[in-house]
Amino acid sequence: MILSDLLGSDALEADGRRVGGVVDVRLEISGAPAQLLAETVVTGVLVSPRSRVSTWGYERRGENGPVVIARLQRWLHRGSFLVSWDDVELVDEGRVVFRDGYERHDPMLPPAPKT
Amino acid sequence: MKKLFAVALGILTAIGGFVDIGDLVTNAVVGSRFGLGLAWVVLVGVVGICVYAQMSGRVAAVSGRATFEIIRERLGPRAGLANLAASFLINLLTVTAEIGGVALALQLATSVDPMWWIPVAAFGVWIVIWRARFDLLENVTGLLGLTLIVFAVALFMLSPDWGSLADQALRPGPPADEPVATYWFYAIALFGAAMTPYEVFFFSSGAIEEKWTEKDLAKSRLNVLVGFPLGGLLSIAIAGCAAVVLLPASIDVTSLSQVVLPVAEAGGKVALSFAIVGILAATFGAALETTLSSGYTLAQYFGWSWGKFRRPARAARFHLAMIVCILVAVAILATGVDPILVTEYSVVFSAVALPLTYLPILIIANDREYMGDKVNGRGMNLVGTIYLVIILVAATAAIPLLIVTGAGA
Amino acid sequence: MNDESAQRMPRPDPRAPRGRVLDAHLHLLDRQVLDRDGTPVTTIDDLELDGIELGARIEPGSPAPSVAAILTGPQLLMRIFGGHAPAARRISIPWKLVASVGTTVRLGVGADSLDASWVERWVSRHIIGRIPGGRHDPE
Repeated sequence: MILSDLLGSDALEADGRRVGGVVDVRLEISGAPAQLLAETVVTGVLVSPRSRVSTWGYERRGENGPVVIARLQRWLHRGSFLVSWDDVELVDEGRVVFRDGYERHDPMLPPAPKT
Repeated sequence: MKKLFAVALGILTAIGGFVDIGDLVTNAVVGSRFGLGLAWVVLVGVVGICVYAQMSGRVAAVSGRATFEIIRERLGPRAGLANLAASFLINLLTVTAEIGGVALALQLATSVDPMWWIPVAAFGVWIVIWRARFDLLENVTGLLGLTLIVFAVALFMLSPDWGSLADQALRPGPPADEPVATYWFYAIALFGAAMTPYEVFFFSSGAIEEKWTEKDLAKSRLNVLVGFPLGGLLSIAIAGCAAVVLLPASIDVTSLSQVVLPVAEAGGKVALSFAIVGILAATFGAALETTLSSGYTLAQYFGWSWGKFRRPARAARFHLAMIVCILVAVAILATGVDPILVTEYSVVFSAVALPLTYLPILIIANDREYMGDKVNGRGMNLVGTIYLVIILVAATAAIPLLIVTGAGA
Repeated sequence: MNDESAQRMPRPDPRAPRGRVLDAHLHLLDRQVLDRDGTPVTTIDDLELDGIELGARIEPGSPAPSVAAILTGPQLLMRIFGGHAPAARRISIPWKLVASVGTTVRLGVGADSLDASWVERWVSRHIIGRIPGGRHDPE
């Protein structure tokens, strides 16, 4: 499937209640080693309760500048959370459904190395 | 001399922003109508472009990414495309105006009809972009463009009443016989020209062409701090000359020959020839800057190979795009349109392009994944944010003012 | 066999990643793709993910989906205007050719070996390369 079809989907609980929009997909370069780079696997989806458009990542990174934009973005995406891929029950056109009893994780990214 | 060459990129970039053909005439128009009453706008513009050019240069030097790459990356394909369309139209209109401007400057020098000079000017621009090394191109046009300083010299030689000039500059506001809207239209036109987006496209891409790294941050700062204030100084000097000679005589500036009139009055034929060389170099330099910027923006949005440090066959679409731009510019000029008028309408597109260019620069300049510990300091962020607000206000006001004043008529 | 055992390992807590963690949209979409020599090839217009079946319930413990390819060409238009490009018309760069991921995505192969750069090659061969001086370094 195409990544951009997944982005902006409704994030639903098992009983059909909408909890937000899928704004991003978390990846980890940690799968089976391939020729050049280890396999890049999906580990979770990021949900923002009040928005379905991904952002500049202020709510998942430690960046604080410029202050006005950082605050505005954090406020817009307040309550964002990460759902592990293991807790995803179903992906369909325009919606992602979580399993019963899924867990909400902190969406914070570990600091990435500067390249 | 070597020191001067080190800041050639900044000088050429600023010349394209402050004293290209459209600005040469606009500055003289402003001087002949408002005296130095709009000099403060140039100062505001100089500070703004210094702040953002420095940021874009730092991002390019540290992360190796030119400005339109980060515009596409932060804004995504849609808003990025809106910016691309607006910026590209500004570039194209300016390329058209500059090629026409080179032809007009050659007419001043030779009295041969500009229509004959247009193909020569267009071919000249292309062959330089096709064959000349980047440093050669920036050194020659940057250095020759410096002869425009003759406008500042002329202002002194005219021995004006400095008191009344200072009075105009320090007490800004529209004169009694000019409508308020017209005053603000020109204020926004001057601000927009000072901060025109192709300056940062050219400056940041030029930094990549020159292979700047983190070690060159001081050089980048020097380029910014020499180039743009110099551009602003030239811009005010042209307006000052017009304020001294053309304003009292109630001469309406409509052509290039009226722009250089005060210089001829002050310094005779020698000064005039300096001015013509300067205008020729400035318009030619601006033509190079905007043609290259058209190629840079397109290539960076779509991820094509670009850069004059590559042979043309290794950056094929980049060169093809620039050839097409020059051909379109010649086709527009062949209709006989006044090249100076062409640039006046680019203020419309600036309204879209300015905020969508400077916002992503400000965000990336704060991103540690790109910048490591070279992110913006608090002061830089504060000034950057204030300017973003000014840009937004100017952008929203631009189009209504354009319509109300009939482009400042 | 190696593949499967690696993917079936129990999933670690999301707070304790085993490799570089990144977000697909934030860190990959719209970034520049460079070839082995640093020549720009394209931007990442979209990504193809393997292992997600639309409308099918995901059994607990199934292997996680993975990034299969970088998409470009017509996929950019789909992102701008919406809609779907037929799979046959997609231009893709297999993810296994990626050598490193930073502010750009670096491939381990040369641009000339990729479908994604056929337009560049065509313009180079048929237009730019035929103009005198097109194959020489600037002077």
